[in-house]
Amino acid sequence: MAQTITPKKLPQDALAELEGVNLNLCLTCGTCSGGCPATGLMDMDPRKFIRKVALGLYDELEKDPWVWVCTMCKRCQDACPMNVDIPKLIFTFRSHWPRSERPKGILGSCDLHVKSNGGAMGVPFDDFKFTVEDVAEELTEQEGFEDFKVYIDKEGAKYALNQNSREPVTEPDELVPLWKILYKVGADWTYYSQMWGGENYCMFLADDENWEKIIRAQAEHIDKLGCEYLVNTECGHSFYALWGGLRKFNIPHKFKLVSIVQLYAQWIREGKLQVNSDWNKDLKIKFTTQDPCNVVRKSLGDDFADDLRFVIKTVVGEENFIDVTPNKSQNYCCGGGGGSLQAGFTEERQAYGRKKFDQIMATGAGYVLVPCHNCHAQIHDLSEHYEGGFYVTHLWTLICLAMGILGENERVYLGPDLAEFGL
Amino acid sequence: MTASNLQSSTGAVMVVGGGIAAIQASLDLADSGYYVYLVEKSAAIGGVMSQLDKTFPTNDCSMCILSPKLVEAGRHANIELITLAEVQELKGQVGDFTVKLREKARYVDLSKCIACGVCAEKCPKKVDDEFNRGLNKRKAAYVKYPQAVPLKYAIDKDNCIFFQKGKCRACEKFCPAGAIDFEQKDRERQIKVGAVILAAGFKPYDPVNYAQYAYAKLPNVVTALEFERILSASGPWMGHLVRPGDEKEPKKVAWLQCVGSRDINHCDHPYCSSVCCMYAIKEAVIAKEHSHGDLDTAIFFMDMRTFGKDFERTYVNAAKSGVRFVRSRVHSITETPETDLRIEYADDAGMLIAENFDLVVLSQGLEMNPETAEMCQRLGVDLAPSQFVATGSFDPVATSREGVFVCGALAGPKDIPISVVEASAAACAASAKLASSRGSLVQTREIPAQRPVLGDTPRVGVFVCSCGINIAGVVDVKAVMEYAATLPNVAYVENNLFTCSQDTQDKMAKVIAEKGLNRIVVAACSPRTHEPLFQETLQAAGLNKYLFDMANIRNQDSWVHAEEPEKATEKAKDQVRMAVAKASLLEPLNEVQLSVNPTAMVIGGGLAGMNAALNLASQGFATHLVERDNALGGNARLLRITAKGEEVQPYLAELAEKVKTDPLITTHLGATVETVEGFVGNFKTALAKDGGQEMIEHGAVVIATGAGEYKPDEYLYGQDPRIMTHLELDSALLSGELDPAKVDNAVFIQCVGSREPERPYCSKVCCTHTVETALHLKKHNPESRVIVLYRDMRTFGEREILYKEARAAGVLFVRYDVERKARVAKEGDDLFVYVWDHVLGRELKLPADLVGLASAIVSHRDQALAQMFKIPQDDDGWFLEAHVKLRPVDFATDGVFMAGLAHYPKPIEEAVAQAQAAVSRAVTVLSKPEITLPGTVAVIDQNKCVGCGVCWAVCAYSAISQDDKGLAVVNEALCKGCGTCVASCRSGAPNLRGFSNQDVMAQITTMLQG
Repeated sequence: MAQTITPKKLPQDALAELEGVNLNLCLTCGTCSGGCPATGLMDMDPRKFIRKVALGLYDELEKDPWVWVCTMCKRCQDACPMNVDIPKLIFTFRSHWPRSERPKGILGSCDLHVKSNGGAMGVPFDDFKFTVEDVAEELTEQEGFEDFKVYIDKEGAKYALNQNSREPVTEPDELVPLWKILYKVGADWTYYSQMWGGENYCMFLADDENWEKIIRAQAEHIDKLGCEYLVNTECGHSFYALWGGLRKFNIPHKFKLVSIVQLYAQWIREGKLQVNSDWNKDLKIKFTTQDPCNVVRKSLGDDFADDLRFVIKTVVGEENFIDVTPNKSQNYCCGGGGGSLQAGFTEERQAYGRKKFDQIMATGAGYVLVPCHNCHAQIHDLSEHYEGGFYVTHLWTLICLAMGILGENERVYLGPDLAEFGL
Repeated sequence: MTASNLQSSTGAVMVVGGGIAAIQASLDLADSGYYVYLVEKSAAIGGVMSQLDKTFPTNDCSMCILSPKLVEAGRHANIELITLAEVQELKGQVGDFTVKLREKARYVDLSKCIACGVCAEKCPKKVDDEFNRGLNKRKAAYVKYPQAVPLKYAIDKDNCIFFQKGKCRACEKFCPAGAIDFEQKDRERQIKVGAVILAAGFKPYDPVNYAQYAYAKLPNVVTALEFERILSASGPWMGHLVRPGDEKEPKKVAWLQCVGSRDINHCDHPYCSSVCCMYAIKEAVIAKEHSHGDLDTAIFFMDMRTFGKDFERTYVNAAKSGVRFVRSRVHSITETPETDLRIEYADDAGMLIAENFDLVVLSQGLEMNPETAEMCQRLGVDLAPSQFVATGSFDPVATSREGVFVCGALAGPKDIPISVVEASAAACAASAKLASSRGSLVQTREIPAQRPVLGDTPRVGVFVCSCGINIAGVVDVKAVMEYAATLPNVAYVENNLFTCSQDTQDKMAKVIAEKGLNRIVVAACSPRTHEPLFQETLQAAGLNKYLFDMANIRNQDSWVHAEEPEKATEKAKDQVRMAVAKASLLEPLNEVQLSVNPTAMVIGGGLAGMNAALNLASQGFATHLVERDNALGGNARLLRITAKGEEVQPYLAELAEKVKTDPLITTHLGATVETVEGFVGNFKTALAKDGGQEMIEHGAVVIATGAGEYKPDEYLYGQDPRIMTHLELDSALLSGELDPAKVDNAVFIQCVGSREPERPYCSKVCCTHTVETALHLKKHNPESRVIVLYRDMRTFGEREILYKEARAAGVLFVRYDVERKARVAKEGDDLFVYVWDHVLGRELKLPADLVGLASAIVSHRDQALAQMFKIPQDDDGWFLEAHVKLRPVDFATDGVFMAGLAHYPKPIEEAVAQAQAAVSRAVTVLSKPEITLPGTVAVIDQNKCVGCGVCWAVCAYSAISQDDKGLAVVNEALCKGCGTCVASCRSGAPNLRGFSNQDVMAQITTMLQG
């Protein structure tokens, strides 16, 4: 039993730090906790956390590990009648941890990213370049892609594309479907050499300095290349790190930031990306999706969620898409956000994801199409951990499958029903 | 407030809006000598109140209590109703305004329309029915609602096929009255008035953009106003409780509070909407009554704000009757595949709980209508940060533009009684400016000479009302009508959908004349609400109004026997037969005319009393202000500031000075009321003063005797000077005894003595008062720790903004349960308060160098005064008004009115408004040279009287006295016609006119013969 407490005043610097959080306005109404999948984990919830801050119980909060369980998904804040910025509060308390004591996985990823000037897995630029050129070379052996070429730092290219480190490092064949799509629509695109990684663990680490460094380097470099668009790959947090970072750090830039999903939708509407759902007419395989909080709730809102659905329905058929409830801006975070996959609190992360798991199971879908690497990894893990039996893939896999251009090595995330389909 | 009235002015007032506030203001003004233009934007008056099913806390049928007022306004000789009109411009100044109106074409000739409904029937175009909040459809030719005033159809140009496509005109073709006029044009009017009252009401918050609650997507998520329509007998499902999605009866219904209130995220509404807690409780209780099985009802809330008179009891009783109250704000609503609505919420302990409901009601807040805001801008009327019209506490119905007044929800969220109070207050304020032109523009109602009927054979007309479906849904009205035609003396029978509607009244007057009827029976609802209306119709038709009787086949029949329609029909026949039997015996009665002494008395020299006296004086009435203390000011002498931050003491000093110097006011200090004789128009009140007695004659009286402060017996009160009540704390701050800069740790404890079994009411002002004081301490010592321990924060209305400011300033709020109260402890010389933190579930130890106790406001329980003026008190000792909704400052005893804390705890601006309202009501008496008393009084047959004295002993109104022969005699001015004397007399000497023993026996006999 916790002992009697006497409320303390907040230190002056804490007040400055929490400027704009609306902390004091809290009505203790419980809206935040009622909508939060992390409520009850480690005997904590958003309302209790705010209350402890309000009562000045800083000593109890300084190293409360719940800050690494909360994914800062903003579902609480959106519903809060007083607009209390709980994600910012959690971010602030993450930053209070001595840097070296923050979760090793997140810390290491941030440090490697900065050190390598590339991505969170620390791959030197030359290795990255070698890998993509090697895989691109192999692609030219596939029918229809004979003159495919991958560019890095191509000046004046319309689109500068970032690349999540996971594919080049652990599953190079997964690079290919997106390339095929870009090739088919005739996109003028390039990778870039400075901070090319489509991720940002420094943001999760609450390390503003390095978060900014990563974004600023990209911004300067891409403007130098003269690209019209910076295209973020199928990854949520990476999008938000750019979207929010450009704003937060007030970084000047000439390019427009877009998500690849927005381009899929645009290209389909323009007829450039010729894809349809005929392949699934008889199979009737059911699909659902996951709205990454970082792109939907925290950045682009339901417009993005609508584009996402437009793409999926085009690819799998309207009747074969079963939405989760709630969805779009109201969606639950899967539990893989906020760096939790690298934070080390596996049990809590999986408990957090239980809501997402139940939501997916309720759809009865065999596949979850996920335009986000962290969601992808988390939902994949949830399916295995809770034995859901559903599969998780990126959009690019299904687009290529529907177009009949998905290679046999590009199917690692497909279930047995589609493992051989169309080959 | 008081203002010297103008030398010359226009004796007319424009009232903008058509809701209950606008109607009340219009009636008050029209009854006190002014001509009124009542300007309504839609096609009929009635406002939001007409859409409500029932009203809290009494659960009266909203339409039933409103309808007589609608009709009265509609037929008043000095109220000109202008519908479909908006104010464009206001030129000139107080006393001499010119208003430019834009009146939209109705395309129906008001003088020709008989409201038969053929136009709507034939109209091919269906549009959302806004009266039913879009839950069903109406036609482009429509009447706003069945009891609408004026009951005239209109054509909605934006939806009319003819106007949109150039073809159709079906309505015109079929209208039997030739009333359709497509040639009508919108027109501009210039109207001269002396003052303007804005009463345009509010707009219900539209939760369509509140994404988490999915109102736009889920048909079974409804707003509270939609739910009112669902419950209403005149609603889309005729009062059958179903959910809109599939018309199934719900088994579980949830209410979510504060949707569009106390929210700066989904909307910019930092205020509380004041009424939602109570209407949610009402809806839950009524829904339970409506449902055939066990309906589960749950109200999800943050703070339960039941702060008004009898509200807390309603809350406690609702909980006892099984309404669940869940203290949690719900994050979101989702729909399950079975179309249940899933709500997930966190309980106090932080546990997640999920529950499914069939129907969710969003307790939508109130907001300023943007169109009204624009109008205010055009008129030069300032708005408050909440966007409602800005007003001050000391002049609560004045706007920033002189001569333009405001009342009702347009000046901030509020309930019906306070709106009605403000309406009367605005009428008072307008009238005070225009007193010199009182009576200059009014028209008097011509009452045709009475047709002599004495000796004529009774020819009874029977009008059977369907009351929409209220009666006809159960009783076979056609059968009742056919039966009535067979009864002796019955010469005419008809059935009406709404007998009380204005067109039916006009028709009735015609029928009476045409058929030579001389006794009228209306088989409908309660005479309590509707008798005066029908009696006026009799008068208009040249009949003595007492040749009338009602059979209440609704309240006493269809409503109570809804399950047994056949038996109900038989009962209705019995009731009609009885009424006809009685009516056949009725004779014309005379009404006594009494002269009115145009002098007023105000009892109580506090803030309310002084305001009442000054307002009476400013309207030109000599006033006696009686105060038992040796100084004016009352409780307000101990108050620092109002909720709006105005300093009370300078205002109070100014007020007292004005009272002292006003030539029309005589102040009696150190005086108490000893005896009261007389009645409305002619009171004789003896004051005890300076050891002697003074007799005052007056025509009306305002009771403003205030209330006291509860002295706590807990929290170590009285054992340490650092522990103070609110008033003590305010005085210490005022006197400088307490330096706010030196308070480092203050703890406030709310609900000390309130909401306890001995005082089961909320004292209404304490939460706001504490928040004001907390802010004051924080202002003078920003480093101080100020903590408020509360049960529910009840900073209702725009006061919520202060609560928000206090939180922003770092004041900490800790909620406690009454079962686990805080404990004040003295440890050595130090004071500590121990309390359980409601979020962390841990005990807090709070050092305190000041403990403020929000102690209750208690009634003086002045039984003597209550008896002298024959005014009732409720269980808590508050004086009981004539009707809590619609006559909030009147008593059942005529000529007696009230204001201030004697009625119930209330903040300053409400006390001032009540004072003005009481004056407005009193002026409706004082401004007339004479008043007419009802003819239904007792009469003594002195041949039978033995002078035993029983009757004058039992008469509650002191209306019977002994004459010089020692026999009983009735003072008709005092007699209320209650009949107690009749029942008490063993010789049968007293009889009641209009309700004689013979009448009653005839009814009983015919009932038994049936």
